[in-house]
Amino acid sequence: MDAKLQYLSPEWRDQAELKLKAELSPERMNHITSSMSNIYTHCPDGKARYLFFNYENGALKELLAGEGEPPAAEFRITGDYETFAKITRAELSSQKALMTLKLKLKGNMIKALKLASVADRLNKVLSGIPTNF
Amino acid sequence: MAALLDPTSPYFIDFPKRLKDVQAEMAREGLDVYLGSRLRTLSWLTDAFCPWRSFIVIPGEGLPAVFTFVIDAARIADDSWLDESQVFGFAPMGGQDQIEQIADFIKDLLKNRKGRLGVESGMSNYLPEGWLTHYEYIQFQAALPAAEFVNAHIIIDKLALIKDSGTINRFREASRIVDVGHQAVLNALQNGGYKGMTETEVAGLAAYAMRKEGSEFEWSFTGGNEIASGYRTSYMGGACTPASRRKLQAGEPLMVDIHAMFMLGLGDHAHNYLLGPATDRQHWHAKNFVDMVKLTLATYRAGITPSKLAEELMGFADSRGFSDYMVPGFEHGIGLMGDEWRIGLNDGPFPYWTNPEHVYQENELLICAMQYACPDEKIGFRYENPIVIGSSGCEALSRFPLGIEEII
Repeated sequence: MDAKLQYLSPEWRDQAELKLKAELSPERMNHITSSMSNIYTHCPDGKARYLFFNYENGALKELLAGEGEPPAAEFRITGDYETFAKITRAELSSQKALMTLKLKLKGNMIKALKLASVADRLNKVLSGIPTNF
Repeated sequence: MAALLDPTSPYFIDFPKRLKDVQAEMAREGLDVYLGSRLRTLSWLTDAFCPWRSFIVIPGEGLPAVFTFVIDAARIADDSWLDESQVFGFAPMGGQDQIEQIADFIKDLLKNRKGRLGVESGMSNYLPEGWLTHYEYIQFQAALPAAEFVNAHIIIDKLALIKDSGTINRFREASRIVDVGHQAVLNALQNGGYKGMTETEVAGLAAYAMRKEGSEFEWSFTGGNEIASGYRTSYMGGACTPASRRKLQAGEPLMVDIHAMFMLGLGDHAHNYLLGPATDRQHWHAKNFVDMVKLTLATYRAGITPSKLAEELMGFADSRGFSDYMVPGFEHGIGLMGDEWRIGLNDGPFPYWTNPEHVYQENELLICAMQYACPDEKIGFRYENPIVIGSSGCEALSRFPLGIEEII
């Protein structure tokens, strides 16, 4: 795949779903059942967007990208578009973004800690998509 | 820890009922939410030891939520009767600090209503009490600008005053453990065993014996097991002696005040020795003290007040010529871990101190505590023992035989 895809576009979402399913087996995802909404504020066009992940027993059941209010999720992570873009480009770790108030997490911290390594794996896969930010 | 909810256990405490009792009081006071921050409140409602800064948010209906430093949240969830979904960890991360996390939780409970929020504000001589700090209060007010903050700790204080059988049995077991610690100390001191030993060593061997019996903690914030020898037993007005590196010496008194914890129930018993050879004068002091303890234990009962008790006992000390050596106080409060301050409620002439006119009731639990000190002669003794108030007397929970033995 040579052409770069626009970040959060339907094509980028499709590619993300393919890569996540191909590269992260349920075992690699620790058989988690959880959901997470990444909420992107201050997108380049001024809109708010979301990326919604829904995993059951480690298998990706839903990956939604859209505008406006995201589906309800166990974890809700809010931040600037540029912050998420840096994370996806692997220029910033999600943990550092949380610790420097660049991201806000809503959800049970104890469970979030259990899922931290899984989230890192997920971000690493997404960083492999040739993307225009 | 489902076992906590086994009603056949002697240590069973009906925590869901406690919660409902709190919620009924909240309704009477017109409170929508109660934000507890005191260690005693957390112990009394969660049945878990919460050593890090923690909060409990009690809604008008339904289960409470516990918020604690994230490093300890999973352990508290494991120890408490509450499900892990009710325990939250806070951390310095976006959206996860304690103010934002708790304020958001309360906002969800209030559902856009202004709401009345009960908080715990006051003062104590007990350092780990856990009152809401000024900074926390200001921050919560800023995060919940529409809510009315009401000081409401009286709700918990009232409900926790009379102890149920599960609580008393936990204290009985903690006291049994303390007695094992005392026996281990006595065994180690005898036959010259004390020679070369330090106060910290005595504290440690008591701790080891009690831990072997299942004690969870030498819980007192006064340095764990308090051991004092020689002049350190006789600080004027003193009743706090963290163990030091001082070596025990022949001819001196030794005070052994040890603490055990069993399921948040607290053992606290002080026993005293004379390291021989003891003088007649030292024996005179010792007899004064033992007689005083006997009389004190015989005097406690429902209906008596701290002031009446002190009056009777100081009269006895005066008649025997040792009132100069007695600290005129005979008690301190006690409850599940974190509750170690005044007797009764905050209704005395000095706010947040024991009301001298508090009338003891059946099944109140307190530490019968007294201190004898003669600094000029470098001798002093301490007695502490959890007692349960009965209709016509009291039950002393520690059964280690009362006396001041001369150790050879």
